Amino acid sequence: MMEIAQSELPHPVPVAAESLLEPGLHPVDPAYVAVLRIVTLLNGVPLAIGATAADQLAICAVEGPVWLLTVAAWLLVVLAVTLLPSRRYARMGYALGADELRVARGYVFRTDTIVPFVRVQHIDVGQGPVERRYGLSHLVVHTSGTHNSTVTLPGLPSEQAAMMRDAIRQHIRSDFA
Amino acid sequence: MASSVDPAAIPAAAADDELPWRRLSPLTLLLAVVRLGPQSVRMIPALAAIGIAGSWTYVVPAMVLFLLISLGFSWLAWARFRWRIGDDAIVIESGIWDRQHRTIPFDRIQDVSIEQGLIGRALDLAKVGFETGAATEGDDGDGGLDSISMDDAAMLRTTIRGWRALPTAAPANDGVAAAAPADADSDALLFHMTPRQLLVAGLFNFSLAALAVVGAASQWFDDLLPFEVFDPRDWMDLARQTGVDSWVDAHRWVAGFGAVAALLLVGFATGIVRTTVTNWDFRLSLGPRAFRRQRGLTTRTDVAIPLARIQAAIVATGFIRCRWGWHELRVQSLASDGQEERDHQLVPFAQLADIDAVLAPTGLSRPPEGLEWHVPPIMAQAWGGLLFAALASIGGAGALALGHWPGVAGLVLGGAALAVTAINIGKHRWADDGAVLYIWRGWFLPRLTILPFAHVQSADVQTGPVLRRLGCVAVTLGVPGDSNLASHGIDAVPVAQAFALRQRLLAMRTRRA
Repeated sequence: MMEIAQSELPHPVPVAAESLLEPGLHPVDPAYVAVLRIVTLLNGVPLAIGATAADQLAICAVEGPVWLLTVAAWLLVVLAVTLLPSRRYARMGYALGADELRVARGYVFRTDTIVPFVRVQHIDVGQGPVERRYGLSHLVVHTSGTHNSTVTLPGLPSEQAAMMRDAIRQHIRSDFA
Repeated sequence: MASSVDPAAIPAAAADDELPWRRLSPLTLLLAVVRLGPQSVRMIPALAAIGIAGSWTYVVPAMVLFLLISLGFSWLAWARFRWRIGDDAIVIESGIWDRQHRTIPFDRIQDVSIEQGLIGRALDLAKVGFETGAATEGDDGDGGLDSISMDDAAMLRTTIRGWRALPTAAPANDGVAAAAPADADSDALLFHMTPRQLLVAGLFNFSLAALAVVGAASQWFDDLLPFEVFDPRDWMDLARQTGVDSWVDAHRWVAGFGAVAALLLVGFATGIVRTTVTNWDFRLSLGPRAFRRQRGLTTRTDVAIPLARIQAAIVATGFIRCRWGWHELRVQSLASDGQEERDHQLVPFAQLADIDAVLAPTGLSRPPEGLEWHVPPIMAQAWGGLLFAALASIGGAGALALGHWPGVAGLVLGGAALAVTAINIGKHRWADDGAVLYIWRGWFLPRLTILPFAHVQSADVQTGPVLRRLGCVAVTLGVPGDSNLASHGIDAVPVAQAFALRQRLLAMRTRRA
C-alpha cells in the first residue's frame, strides 16, 4: 500500500544534476541549500565576531600574533556559508520504502540510517523561522532506545513532510493487526 | 506486512478533524506567574549590579520589565500551543518561532501519567505525560500537556486506555510488571552465591581504589598529620629519625618485597570487601514472568526484572579470570531502574554452565557451535593504534635525538600501543544465526553481546575516510534500554556484507512489536 502513498507524494524536485546519491535515494528540496546557508550565517557570524573580539583584546594583551585568529575565523565562516551547504545538500538523501524510512547524510563521515515504521514511537514535523520562509519542514522520527533514538530528515517541503508523517502513522496503526 | 488498511484511508487520515483543536488551560498562565518566582532569583545579581552602580531608581522598572517580558513569552508560548485528539493519535503543536508538530499514536502510548502539584490541585489543573518508551520525552518538556483541566486529563486517559483495550491482538506482555510481587517461596532459585564464591570473586576484583581513598582522605586531614603524606622529603626525614633508612639500605630486597606484598594485600582486601558488601547472599530466582534478584549486605536490594522487557544479554569476563572460566552475566532491559545501574547484573561471577542456566528462561543463549565468525579487516582494527604508536615513537625519537632523555617515554608508549594493538586484533568479531547477533569485543575485558534481531529499532551504516579506503562500513544498531557494557555495533564490515546484514536484521521486525 505504501507504494501508492509514495507515488502520491509530490516529487517537486527533478533529481538535481549535482546530486551524488546512490540509486534509490531521493534528494531533498534544493531550497534546503539556502536554508543551510542562512542558518550557518546566523550561527557563524556571531562566533566570528566573538573570535575577532577575543583576538583584538586578548591576543593583543599578551602580544601574540594579532589578526591570525580574526582572519581564520572569517575565512571559515565564508567557506562554511559558500561551499559547504551545496555539498551537504548533494549528499543528503532519503527513501520512503514500503515499511521503512531511510536517511543518508554526509560524505567524509557518511551515515545511512534505516528506521522500520513499526519501530517508530512518535513523529515530529518541525519548522524553524528560516525554513518557514522557504516553505520547508523537517521530519523527526523517534524510536525507543538511547542510541540513535531520533532520526531527523531536514529539507522537505512542508506538505510532503506532512504526507510522510501520515504515511508512517498509518503503519503504526495497522501494526497490531 | 499484514496490513488490512485500505489505501484510500491515507489521505483521509490527513484530514481527520473529528475533534477540534484544544488549548492548554488559560490558568496555565497563572502557573507561569508562580514559576517566575524561582526564576527571578537569577535577576538578583543583575538588579544588585544596577543598584551598586548607583541607579537605585532603575531597579523597580527593571524588575517590572523582566516580569512583563517573561509573562509575554509565557503568553506567546501558550498562544502557540494547541493539541487535539485525532482518531488514532494525540497531536501537539508547539513553539514560538521553531514550530513543532508532534504526533503520538495511541498504539505507542504505554501509559498516561497525570500529575497534580499543590497549585495545580488548587486550580484543578493536571499535567499530563505520555510514556512511549522514546528517550526524548520529558527532557524537552513538550512531550506532554502542561497543564490542562483535570476533567480533560481524565477524559484523555480514558480515551487512550479505551483504545488500548480495542485491538485484542495487542501483545499481552505489558501486564508483566504487575506480576512481580509474587511470594518468594514459589520462585525457583536459579543462582546464588556462597561465601566461598564471594571470596573467589573478591580475589578477582583486585583493586587499588583503597589507596586513592587514603590519598583523598589525607588531603582532608592534611592539617591533622604532622607531615605531608605525599612529600617524599617528609618520609625521608621520618626514616632518618627512626633509623629505618639504614635498615632499608641494608635489607633492600626484603623492603621491596614487603612494599609489594603490602600493595597486593590492600588490593585483594579491597576487592573482597567490596564484592562481599554488594553481593552478600546474592539470590536470583525466577518468578512467573520475571527474574527476581536480591543482594547486598548493608543495603539489601530486591529487584524484579520482567522477562519480556529484556532486550539483550551481555556475558563479560576479564583476561585473567576467563582462564578459570569465570564470567559475569548482565541483561539490558527496557525498564532500567534508577540511574546508577543502567543494565541489570543477573550473575556477578560464575562458570558458564551456571550462566547458561540463567539465560535459558530469557530465550537467549550463548552462540552455538559452528557459527561463521566474521573478523573485521586487520587494518580497520589496527590503524588507530598504529597511528598512535608511530606518532609517539617519532616524537620520542626526535626528542632523544635532540638530547632530551624523557623522549624514552615516547618510545615506551609507542611500543606499548603497538603491543596492545597487536593483542586486540581479532578480539572484535561477530556472527549471526539469522535471528540473533553475537558480538565479541575486547581483550582486557572481553565481552559478548547477545542481541536478538527482533529488538533492533534502527540501523546505521557509517563510513569515514579510513573505513572507506578499506571498503568497509561501521554498523550501529539502536536498541531500547541502556547498558554500560553492551556494544550494539560492529566497527568494520565489508560494504556488501554490511548491507546484507542490515537487511536480515530489519526483516525480523514483524516478529514482535
